[in-house]
Amino acid sequence: MLTDTPRQLTIIRDRSDKIFRGVIRAGGSTVLVIMVLVGSFLAYRASQALNKAGWSFFTEQAWEPDAGKFGIAAVIVGTILIATVAIVVALPLSLGTALFITEYAPRKLRSFLVSIVDLMAAIPSVVFGLWGFFFLQQSIVPVSRWISQYFGWIPGLGVTGVDPTDPLATTTVYTSSTFIAGIVVGIMVTPIVTSIMREVFSQTPVGEREGALALGATRWAMIRNVVLPFGQGGIIGGTMLGLGRALGETIAVYMIISPVFFIQPNILQNGASSVAALIALRYGESTEMGLSALMAAGLALFTMTLIVNFGASIVVSRSRSGAAS
Amino acid sequence: MATTTKAAKSTNALVGKSRKKRPSSKTTTIHARGEFVGIEPKRTLGGIRIGDLLSIVGAAVAAFALAIVLATQVAPITGGIAFFVVWYLLFMGFYALLVSIDDTKTFVMDRVVAVLVTSLGVLLFSVLIFVIVFVIGRGAEALPFLSFYTEDMGLAGPLDPLSVGGVAHAIAGSLIQIAIALAITIPLGIAAAVYLNEIPGRFSRFVRTIVEAMTALPSIVAGLFIFATVILMFGLPKSGLAASLAISVMMLPIMIRSADVVLRLVPQTLKEASIGLGASQWKTVWNVVLPTSRSGLTTSIILATARGIGETSPVLLTSGFTAELNVNPLESPMVSLPLAIFQFVKSPEPTMIARGFGTAAVLMLLVLTLFVIARIIGGMTPEKSARARIRRAEFFGWFSTTARKINSLIPRRITNVKEAS
Amino acid sequence: MNIRRTLVKSARASLALLLTGIIVSGGSTAALAADYVPISGAGSSWSANAIDQWRRNVKQYGMSVNYASTGSVDGRNQFKGGTVDYGVSETPYGLTDNGVVDALPTRPFVYIPIVAGGTAFMYNLTSGGNRITNLRLSGDVVTKMFTGVITKWNDALIAADNPGLTLPDRAVVPVVRSDGSGSTAQFTLWMDTKYNSLWESYCDKVGRNECGQTSFFPTTSGMVAQPNSQGVSGYVAQTANEGTITYVEYSYALKTGFPVAKVLNDANYYVEPTASNVAVGLLGAVINQDETSSMYLTQELSGVYNNKDPRAYPLSSYSYMIAPTTEQASFTATKGATLSAFANYFLCEGQQQAEVLGYSPLPVNLVRVGLEQVTKIPGADTATINISQCNNPTFSASGENTLAKNAPMPDPCDKKGVEQCTEGTGGASATSTGGTTETGTTSTTDGTTGTGTTGGALGVTMGTGPTQCDVDTGICSSIKAVPVATTSTGWAATNWVILSVIIILVLVVVVPPVMVTYAARKVRSS
Repeated sequence: MLTDTPRQLTIIRDRSDKIFRGVIRAGGSTVLVIMVLVGSFLAYRASQALNKAGWSFFTEQAWEPDAGKFGIAAVIVGTILIATVAIVVALPLSLGTALFITEYAPRKLRSFLVSIVDLMAAIPSVVFGLWGFFFLQQSIVPVSRWISQYFGWIPGLGVTGVDPTDPLATTTVYTSSTFIAGIVVGIMVTPIVTSIMREVFSQTPVGEREGALALGATRWAMIRNVVLPFGQGGIIGGTMLGLGRALGETIAVYMIISPVFFIQPNILQNGASSVAALIALRYGESTEMGLSALMAAGLALFTMTLIVNFGASIVVSRSRSGAAS
Repeated sequence: MATTTKAAKSTNALVGKSRKKRPSSKTTTIHARGEFVGIEPKRTLGGIRIGDLLSIVGAAVAAFALAIVLATQVAPITGGIAFFVVWYLLFMGFYALLVSIDDTKTFVMDRVVAVLVTSLGVLLFSVLIFVIVFVIGRGAEALPFLSFYTEDMGLAGPLDPLSVGGVAHAIAGSLIQIAIALAITIPLGIAAAVYLNEIPGRFSRFVRTIVEAMTALPSIVAGLFIFATVILMFGLPKSGLAASLAISVMMLPIMIRSADVVLRLVPQTLKEASIGLGASQWKTVWNVVLPTSRSGLTTSIILATARGIGETSPVLLTSGFTAELNVNPLESPMVSLPLAIFQFVKSPEPTMIARGFGTAAVLMLLVLTLFVIARIIGGMTPEKSARARIRRAEFFGWFSTTARKINSLIPRRITNVKEAS
Repeated sequence: MNIRRTLVKSARASLALLLTGIIVSGGSTAALAADYVPISGAGSSWSANAIDQWRRNVKQYGMSVNYASTGSVDGRNQFKGGTVDYGVSETPYGLTDNGVVDALPTRPFVYIPIVAGGTAFMYNLTSGGNRITNLRLSGDVVTKMFTGVITKWNDALIAADNPGLTLPDRAVVPVVRSDGSGSTAQFTLWMDTKYNSLWESYCDKVGRNECGQTSFFPTTSGMVAQPNSQGVSGYVAQTANEGTITYVEYSYALKTGFPVAKVLNDANYYVEPTASNVAVGLLGAVINQDETSSMYLTQELSGVYNNKDPRAYPLSSYSYMIAPTTEQASFTATKGATLSAFANYFLCEGQQQAEVLGYSPLPVNLVRVGLEQVTKIPGADTATINISQCNNPTFSASGENTLAKNAPMPDPCDKKGVEQCTEGTGGASATSTGGTTETGTTSTTDGTTGTGTTGGALGVTMGTGPTQCDVDTGICSSIKAVPVATTSTGWAATNWVILSVIIILVLVVVVPPVMVTYAARKVRSS
């Protein structure tokens, strides 16, 4: 049998193409150079501090770079705690809202709600910061107090140094806490997470939905057996993307927390810490070494966000919904 | 067939205008096999039964009554939030109970979840709307003054009333900074995105991975980078330009990522047709790829702009602070809206705080305008579904690029799953 | 009362003077407006209120002066880094803080005194529903409050300072600066000088060796740290944050409408950091007059802390502008001309407003040397810089500090051991604390006492609890312990009855449907 062997093709490009390819290649390379520059500069400047601190950089809680005593143990833990609270707030809210929009809301209202959520995702974080500082800070105190009074025995929800039954006890211990910062950041990332989840849910194959309903499933049974398994990747991925945003949030956190440099495990208690807020607080008054230490902290934060984001993309790509998009 | 439809129509007419779209429940039309019946009118599957409504209202009232008794007599509840939570929990309990009287466990679950999901949705929307109303409400004092939009703070000290001074300098600063940032990021970002799509290869894959990694860069770190290099190392003053550079570093990966996704959505057949007609690559890109994805690209640019214009942390480190209008980005500090908000609310003076909230309202309005523009442009695509695809590409961009990449490595499994289901 | 009136009068007079000053000088300076260029600076938030007002005032001469109140340490660093044209700081370069020497900038510079003021202790405290506005504290008590030795407001030591007050059993919450701050440096220097052992033992306790004077307050649990002067004053000013106390420039307390503590000086009087008291206090400052020293014109404050004048406020100090003396790092002669004109303004006319803003005008000796420094700025128009044309409110023909000379003596009720004055302090000066029964008649009060606008200067102080007056004798006494009803305590029999009724009711409602469902399911399954 006679088969065609693939022929060698030679592409001859004209001059305009050569220029074009040169230009876009230059564009790509420039971007690469900029990005690599940012990364390597960070790493280079951070190395100064990392060399000085050694492994204690990951175990030391204090932040006194000039005294040579500094580490990210407290700030990283603080950042993770704030982000955790944020996700605990954001996950049910956004899952519920995404399901509400795709499954329960009246059809006419649906596209309007979608626009609202997308718009909310673009609200500047400083606006949420304002709301958190001027409204939530004061109105959440009774809730914090109540939680610590009845659930204080759960590790992390207790508050030290105050007797909750004493009506004259100061309420300042409940302000500027991880809890408040977490709620504000949580509400801030909710629209983004919702937007992603809704997008995934809306892609659920109609055939499968209708099949489930035709078999007599209730709406919830259909959601549980069709929509949620299909959108699993979107739920996990969206949440992790929200987590990435929550980790890097600066201004809203800066406005609310009262920074401390020891691990504060009690989320309801005054005193919290965050890498991004630490940078915003200390960048100006730092010496060379201080700035280098801040760079190292920034690098650690960047690495953490990077891992979260890549984790999200892998989870999503392995799911059906991710593959479909 | 003709007669049956006519009959159905006439019954519909009899039943009345309001039910015109639905076939009467009394009439069942059975068609012969293979007979063409036209497009069947859609049946409404939903709807609310009066019993459902009564259960909800009843449960709500009962829960309210019990919550009041609890709050006043048994365990004192302080504060509205606590009372609301107690009421809600009781309501859910009562509702489940009422539904369980005449439905099975499956239906109870269904109803309870429906109420839960709806209330979560309502809760989120009310919180978000409350945030916005709160901010506008606190700024309402400052907003009615025309000077708020036309003057800077040069002649307004801490003791001056709201009728003096405004945020014109911050509006101008924001616009100038974002314009410079766009002048940097649009050509670079679009060129890089075109490069990623047009010259695939190991190098472009590497570029894509790096760009994707950089989307994780926290905005404060972008600011810190510019602060440490441009300002401290090269000695450029804190200025609008430095702020624009910081915003650019932050926006660039976001824009490339979404533009990359948008360009991928251009049908391969279109490109092949163009090449097949003998057009060069450059001509194909210029005449086919870019026009086809124009609205998508614009949307991605505008949404990146909305993100860049609202970020405080990079400008906090790089732009310096001034109370006066400065249109020269090369020297002297230049303030932008988010930074102005941040500085205003630090003042103990109530008028200054009102100005801060007013500025926040202005900033939100600016973002809203950008968003509406994005929507209008996004809606101008030839095919209607493209809008949804672009929106998806925007918000979903992160996954789709990486997902496609990984997916291309393991295509079989996924296709199989898809077919099997 | 009279004293207050005179104060008001003098303030008015100085305002009038200021207005004429502006009008008179406006003519001469306006001609120079031609070639001013914008200049920018950063630093002390302690001085920010004054600088914010001045930059607004000089705008009419065509000067654009930008100022970012980012904290003294940031101001010094930015000046060193060349990113700003001038810095403002309370502490000079060259001090050792936390084991690190703050190196001098490579570019030549001078210190110009910019504004004097008192570091005040602003607090938020109520008792029985009334805001306390006449708190008095002695130095060691302040130190103990900020070092965790005194943890409750009803501590015996605070009570000893305030014989007329009933203090609540609340925790003392010190609010400190989270950023590097000159206010912290001033406050810690004072503690380090006067109460060294207390301060250093606290530093040891929180794991920092030998704090000395530091710009970074070492925190411990129970403390709140906030950025900037606005941050700490704003935090204390939140109504819910009762029991908080912070150190901040007096003007922040004035503007926020909150009281400040009167601090005991070495003459055994409790004084408020008013302009005149600060001016008197600063008479004790020793200023480095050694022109060859890098610390030229910097202050040595132990004389202020130990000033024996009964009017002296012990925590008085002044801040410096750090100005370059060469054209370098984007600093040109044209910028120098603007900077020197601005400096000339704030050293002379600008000081007129210092008092209104909550600061104290600079005395003549500081202005004289300050103006000498101004002439060293490149591009300075030396012709216009002339001390004889300076409209500083402290100047007098005799060379004495007018303000300090005319400063009123403290009220007798401000003396240690005497029942304290009832008039409010700081931003709450319009209020008085404690019921005043000047006539001794039956003024039964219901807990809203103390909000009247005129407290008798030497009225009988009743404490801040609700006062009860005896109808027969006319003698009032404050209720020392305010009973607070706690609903969670004391379960009466009726509560149990109500609870059981509710439980029965709920069971009546809940049980039948559950039973029915259960039975129905049984039937269905069988």
